Amino acid sequence: MRTVRAETLKLRRSTAWVVVLLLPVAVAFMACLNTLTSGEPLEDGWHTLWVRVAGFHALFPLALGVALLASLMWRPEHKGGNWNALMGGPTTSGSIVWAKTVTLWLLTLTMQAVLLVLVVAVGRLAFGLDGFLPGQYLVATVVSGIGVLPLVALQSALSLFVRSFAGPVAIALVGAGASVVAQQMAGDLALLSPYSVATRTLHLSSGVFGDAGTLAPGIVTLLVGASLAWLLVINTVGARVLDGRDVRV
Amino acid sequence: MSSIVATTDLTKRYGSTTVVDGLDLAVPEGSVYGFLGPNGSGKSTTMKMLLSLVQPTSGEVLLMERPMNRATRRGLLAHVGSLIEAPPGYGHLTGRENLRLAQRLLGLSERQVDQAVRTVRLQDHLDKKVRNYSLGMKQRLGIALALAREPRLLILDEPTNGLDPAGIEEIRELMRRLASRGTTIMVSSHLLGEIDKTATFLGILSQGRLIFQGSRADLFQAATPDVVLRCSDPPAAHRLLAARVPSTLTGQELHLAGLGDHHVAACVDTLVSHRIGVFDVRRREQSLEDVFRDLTAGGRL
Repeated sequence: MRTVRAETLKLRRSTAWVVVLLLPVAVAFMACLNTLTSGEPLEDGWHTLWVRVAGFHALFPLALGVALLASLMWRPEHKGGNWNALMGGPTTSGSIVWAKTVTLWLLTLTMQAVLLVLVVAVGRLAFGLDGFLPGQYLVATVVSGIGVLPLVALQSALSLFVRSFAGPVAIALVGAGASVVAQQMAGDLALLSPYSVATRTLHLSSGVFGDAGTLAPGIVTLLVGASLAWLLVINTVGARVLDGRDVRV
Repeated sequence: MSSIVATTDLTKRYGSTTVVDGLDLAVPEGSVYGFLGPNGSGKSTTMKMLLSLVQPTSGEVLLMERPMNRATRRGLLAHVGSLIEAPPGYGHLTGRENLRLAQRLLGLSERQVDQAVRTVRLQDHLDKKVRNYSLGMKQRLGIALALAREPRLLILDEPTNGLDPAGIEEIRELMRRLASRGTTIMVSSHLLGEIDKTATFLGILSQGRLIFQGSRADLFQAATPDVVLRCSDPPAAHRLLAARVPSTLTGQELHLAGLGDHHVAACVDTLVSHRIGVFDVRRREQSLEDVFRDLTAGGRL
């Protein structure tokens, strides 16, 4: 807990907040623009809007956002003498890995919350939809809070071990793209990719990209289980590898 | 005096290159241990092995009489402050925020942080972002971060690198103050003059090997200074002695290298028995710099 509180202090004046705010805004803006220019109205009201904003967000912008946040979060650690100080201090490798994962997770949750608020705002204000976002999508958003964990842990690990800023971001884009294709071809076997889990949870109950259109307890349990398993595996391996590695000479 | 740092046959090889070769270091508790050597002699790598930042190829490190390795390091590092290569610090945060971060992370008290800040005299610059700090200020912040946990051992790798003379003097003064409070300091430098007056103990590294370790007095003793001799007939004296000892004739003076006290007496005896009057026999004054240069140039003692 102490390490997480220390990590959150590092986020002061961090560029990460720009990503947290601007990425969902860009996604929502593009969805609006698409709807307006294509001339296709929101046939099914909130459902169509959700698919166009959150459904699109899940395909690759989410992975891009998490990758950017991870690289921004790890960048200061790779600068100057910070890496030597980090590895030359009493904080265990496990604590370092978990604190970074939790911090990145909190940033990601904030980004997702911004997106949720934007979907509702766009629906009510831009498209004059009545009522509120259907409850099933709120559930999907909550489940996606768990579903992003594999993505969060993986990107944090990549930005920990790869000093370059852009490298892990590129990996995220390729991984997310490949996972969308895998989902189309292999269905839920694609959950063997950490990128698929996050995408899949945001598509829950939307009826697109292979989703059945209902919130079946079976798939929700599978997603939560896969998320926690991925999280545990990635962070355990990450901490082990970090502990065995030498600093650069 | 017990050793707070002790290594046995500490070695690091990268491929076929041996960077650190069989070091047996012993840093006495409470000392200021000057770790000297030219650039590239393996000082940084050694310090990284002491901190377990780099794993040795062979050999062992004992910190506070306990083995230092990947299983034990985090526990031992709670008592060790270090500054390796560039000073740490998050540029987008102020000095105060950087310190608060360390405070939260290590569960330190306000008093500990305050004291560390006052020790490095950084209290007037805490609200500035670290990216706007001068190198000297960054260095002091780095030391404050290392000091805040009140370590028993402080490992500083070239802390005066890139500092102006005032900054260098400040770091020296800081080391003296810390040492007087009982903190053991191991400090590396490629310039003898920088730590000469501060260090109570010296270790000299050359091409990865420890060529000397001991007190300053030991060092002078180990490297025997030349004997300078004046007499009534220098050329004749030179002819007489050159067969037995390395002798050079410089003007009216004879320089005899590497002579122990008994050899000096024997040489004087020879000259007197050949009826050459000996006016004056003395040891050449030698600075620590000369000794250091002789040792590192020769590669061995």
